[in-house]
Amino acid sequence: MSTPPPRAARPAPTDRDDLRAEGSDARILATVWPYARPDGWTFVLAVVVTPLVALLNLAQPWLLKRMLDEHVVVGRADGLTQVALLYLAAVVGAYLCQAAYTVALALGGTRTIRRLRSALFRHVLGLSQSFFDRQPTGRLMTRLTGDVDALGDALTAGAVTIVLDGLTIAGVLVAMLLLDPGMTLITILLAPPLLLAINLFRRVARKLFVEVREALAAVNAFMAERIDGVEVVQLYGHEAVAAAQFDRRNQHFRGLTTRSNVYESAIFSLVDGFSSIVVGALLWFGAGELSATFGLDIATVAVSVGTVVAFIDYLDRLFVPLRDASNKIAVIQRAVAALVKIAGLLNTTERVPDGDQRLEALRGHVVLRDVHFRYRPDAPDVLRGVDLEVRPGEVVAIVGATGSGKTTVTRLLDRSYAGYRGSITLDGVELSSLALSDLRRNVAAVRQDIQVFSEDIGFNVDLGNERIDAEDRAQAARLTHANRFIDALGWDHVLRERGADLSVGEGQLLTFARTMAHDPGLIILDEATASIDSLTEALVQDALANIFARKTVIVIAHRLSTVQAADRICVMADGRVAEQGTHDELLAAGGRYAALVAAGEGVLAGPEAAGLSSGGTDSERP
Amino acid sequence: MTDGPPDRRALHPILRLALDYGRPYRWSYALGALALLLTNWLTVRIPVVVGQGVDALRDGAPVGRSALLVAGMGIVVMVVRTASRVWFFNPGRDVEYDVRRDIFDKLMRLQPEFYARHKRGDIISRASNDITWARLAMGFGALAVFNITSGLVLSGGQMVLISPRLTAFVVVPLVLSLVIVRFFIQMLLETQREYQSETGLLSDQVLGSLQGMATIHGFVAEEAFIDRFEARNERVYALSMKLAWLRSVAFPLLILGGGLSLTLLLAVGGPMALRGEVSVGDLAAFATLLATLGGPLRSLGWMLSIIQQSRAALERIFELLDAPVARPERALPAPAPSPSPGCGPGFQVRGLTFAYPDEPDRTVLHDVDLDIAPGSVVGLFGRTGSGKSTLVRLLARQFNPPEGAVQVVGRDGATAELTALELDDWRARLAVVPQRPFLFSDSIAANIGLEDPPDLDRVRTVTDRAALTADLESLPDGLETVVGERGIMLSGGQRQRTALARGLYREADVVMLDDVLSAVDHETEARLVETLTRLRGTERAPTTLIVSHRLSAIRHADLIVVLDEGRVVDQGRHDALIARPGLYRDTWRVQSERKAAPAADVQGGVA
Repeated sequence: MSTPPPRAARPAPTDRDDLRAEGSDARILATVWPYARPDGWTFVLAVVVTPLVALLNLAQPWLLKRMLDEHVVVGRADGLTQVALLYLAAVVGAYLCQAAYTVALALGGTRTIRRLRSALFRHVLGLSQSFFDRQPTGRLMTRLTGDVDALGDALTAGAVTIVLDGLTIAGVLVAMLLLDPGMTLITILLAPPLLLAINLFRRVARKLFVEVREALAAVNAFMAERIDGVEVVQLYGHEAVAAAQFDRRNQHFRGLTTRSNVYESAIFSLVDGFSSIVVGALLWFGAGELSATFGLDIATVAVSVGTVVAFIDYLDRLFVPLRDASNKIAVIQRAVAALVKIAGLLNTTERVPDGDQRLEALRGHVVLRDVHFRYRPDAPDVLRGVDLEVRPGEVVAIVGATGSGKTTVTRLLDRSYAGYRGSITLDGVELSSLALSDLRRNVAAVRQDIQVFSEDIGFNVDLGNERIDAEDRAQAARLTHANRFIDALGWDHVLRERGADLSVGEGQLLTFARTMAHDPGLIILDEATASIDSLTEALVQDALANIFARKTVIVIAHRLSTVQAADRICVMADGRVAEQGTHDELLAAGGRYAALVAAGEGVLAGPEAAGLSSGGTDSERP
Repeated sequence: MTDGPPDRRALHPILRLALDYGRPYRWSYALGALALLLTNWLTVRIPVVVGQGVDALRDGAPVGRSALLVAGMGIVVMVVRTASRVWFFNPGRDVEYDVRRDIFDKLMRLQPEFYARHKRGDIISRASNDITWARLAMGFGALAVFNITSGLVLSGGQMVLISPRLTAFVVVPLVLSLVIVRFFIQMLLETQREYQSETGLLSDQVLGSLQGMATIHGFVAEEAFIDRFEARNERVYALSMKLAWLRSVAFPLLILGGGLSLTLLLAVGGPMALRGEVSVGDLAAFATLLATLGGPLRSLGWMLSIIQQSRAALERIFELLDAPVARPERALPAPAPSPSPGCGPGFQVRGLTFAYPDEPDRTVLHDVDLDIAPGSVVGLFGRTGSGKSTLVRLLARQFNPPEGAVQVVGRDGATAELTALELDDWRARLAVVPQRPFLFSDSIAANIGLEDPPDLDRVRTVTDRAALTADLESLPDGLETVVGERGIMLSGGQRQRTALARGLYREADVVMLDDVLSAVDHETEARLVETLTRLRGTERAPTTLIVSHRLSAIRHADLIVVLDEGRVVDQGRHDALIARPGLYRDTWRVQSERKAAPAADVQGGVA
């Protein structure tokens, strides 16, 4: 049950990603901001608390130094309790502020994401079929999942914490200057090589990381595929070859991880040793010498035990954010790229225009007069003046070669596509002025591409429509013989992805049952010619007969038996109705239809174009 | 390594992993341990040397030596810590590689019976997700164990040496926060897993909706799908908030604990120093030691969780590695020579009754008697579930038939019990094309040859025989076209013919086609049947079994066997079978009517 075979007339999915927002950053932000606004207070709170967190964190080493130098070393007891209490307050306060700050960010971020994801999903559901024909599913998936997640990461972790990091770095530098300008100078002089080294390693590590991920994906994909095809592997004595092929991938992965390991370990360790080098350098120069060199007026022996302890602490606080900065910047860059694409999707307004005429119950009188249509403004006409009338209760079969426009006609009728010229009326009302939901409730199409959802069977039949009760469902299932397998599986049975646990024939019966349960006034059938065993085939034929007997039907027919069962046959060629009449009339006329029939089997596309695809043949055992 | 002594199985899986797989890397661990010890020793020593340097500076003594020493120690720390991590983590990668290789080998050997009992998704998840815990346990886990032990002994020991009383005070908040956080780590890991599975479900749902968009639009079911999406979106939100709480409130408790320890150091140690119970230098050393102890303590929580998680994951891995292979090997003690090698053998089936091992109560074949002449073409016909495929599976020995039920007959009349043949020898003589053509996401040539590299001339010959050559011209890279996952690039019929070409490539003595002609048109079908039977009547003619429910594919067979509900209900040549009432004649009428009508079967033809 795959996507329908590409038709020459319909535009193919493009590789070009045209879902990018144009215009300035401000406009892009303006598209997305409404989803964040209700929780704007959380971001404000975070920004307000940030300096407090930085300050409280920075106070700790300073208090430690005061205790050591002003009390312990000189042996002064009074005031020591106060310093300890202050320290306690700083520690607890920092904890509370930090927690408040991160929770606020998470709250704002995840709520924004939830809102945005939901809005995107609604938005996408409202877009027209022409949009989906052009966009590969994978790309839309990325918008709705990966891109939204990337934005979420930035909101909760990246964007705002980088402010805290900036404040912390500035604060540390100030505190260090206050503590000991000489040491600070040495730090500033020695820091660039370290940061350069870290960044260099990080760049290599990040590139390797991408390779590692790809290698792992290759390993897992290869394995999963051989597990799926293990029967073939064993029957063909392919085990050793497969093992050797797997080993190449496995080794490649190991080689890459071993290499990336070195870089990651180095990044981790570089900061560790750095403070020692700074302190060593300080001792080497001697505080006094250094002050003289830089013309600073500092007491000769500025270095104290307390200073050293506090200083090492500050260095850690300085380098951790510096070390992580490039990662955070990468997160933000990803988020900005995602944001541009998300805004692009939200700004897409490719919809079928809605009408305002209501339609309660359709009798099924369809009239097309001189209908012209093209899929894109710059494409040639696919329909070139179609005239066709279907009366209530009638079954009309449309036949014609690929590209003759028969599917296009039906795609206009359920308004998958808008923008026809000429006139199409349903029960006398012009199609384009009908309310879209009313129209679609009354016109149901069953296409070759059998669409089954990974939900329970009940939902697959009623699609959550509250007007369909259990009795309607059961009746529709009986009528279409879907009850044969539904009774065995149960209505609550949750189908596997894409209905992998149904055969092609069963999937077809299920979509018939779905259609009948919705009781539309007009049914459009794109008859599939999937390869199914003769038993199921008989059921499908009988189900078709039941539908024909009860509904107005337009059927795109492939099988002669279906064509013969129709009240009228309409042959399309070159975007027009070439001839119509009953089977016998048309045969007697000796025109296109007679030629098609005489051409017989296997001359044109053959059944393989129609329906059989992965995961759905009848089989005795899984 | 996998078939170690059975008592190994009783061991804690991590210990078993270490014994079975970790051993070759013991030297790497030893070097890593040395490097780590050196790192930790240096971290503790540096403050002392700094202290000496400060004293020297104050006294106006030369400080060059101390300065160089401190800076040098810093550089050594960088190098040695990097080395320790590399030496500890690499064995983790190596073990991951080894386990993955063994699992793959095992999976390729496990039989259909195993795959019938286990869900593929579960097997794949074990082989790709659970295996990462082997790496964590042997890499990070090993490092953490050693780091914590040495950290506790060195830093903790030093602290106790300085002042047991102060140590006792200072350690309390650390341990307390550790206990609390340990609880939260468990919660975090569970929540994370839940979150991942929930976001996976959300993705699946989005994907399903996108793929079914025409239906959603067509039946105006947008609101129902939005409702379902919202429910899932809500759950994802709730879980990610829970994660956020854990991360921002629970985990910083560790840092709070560290801060509280320092507070206690000030509050308790300060007065102690004033009273002269500890020296100023000791107090400074204590502050540093506390910092070096904090690291290992913090990773202790993680380590405990990793042990717990990897235990469960490794149990699942070892379950795979310990699964009995149960290959349908030769059942009789003495190997029988394979009758008539190089040309098609016959079969003599007597009283064959069979039920699959996982469903012993459901008999699939009842008392089947059958004689298949060497080199003949046999058609197997029956409805879905009649036992056709099972018969093929038994002759291919994907399962062993019961003893005595199937004899292989040579052209010279020599017979051998099927189950007495060496499995690999037997399989080498077969070309079985299963019902569902399975293609790997590799080139068409590789899929047909299944060798590395395939013989391209032979591949060309068989693609021609399988009526695939014309299709190749429409594909971007011809034989080198990569067919995508499960051959998604190809149509159903092209997939079937590729699988058929794979079977022909083998030039086998027994060819079994399990309904592989169902998705080709009648003209191609006729051509293929002709190709398949082209050696008929010659010396080298293979024995050919064609399973089909399309009678046109088997009507010219030497023998047609009609199966129904596991029994042979009829057999004979086509002409004989349509002369008497029965399933075959009924089906023939239905199918030939469609063909005989003037339009014949317009299948797709009018499309």
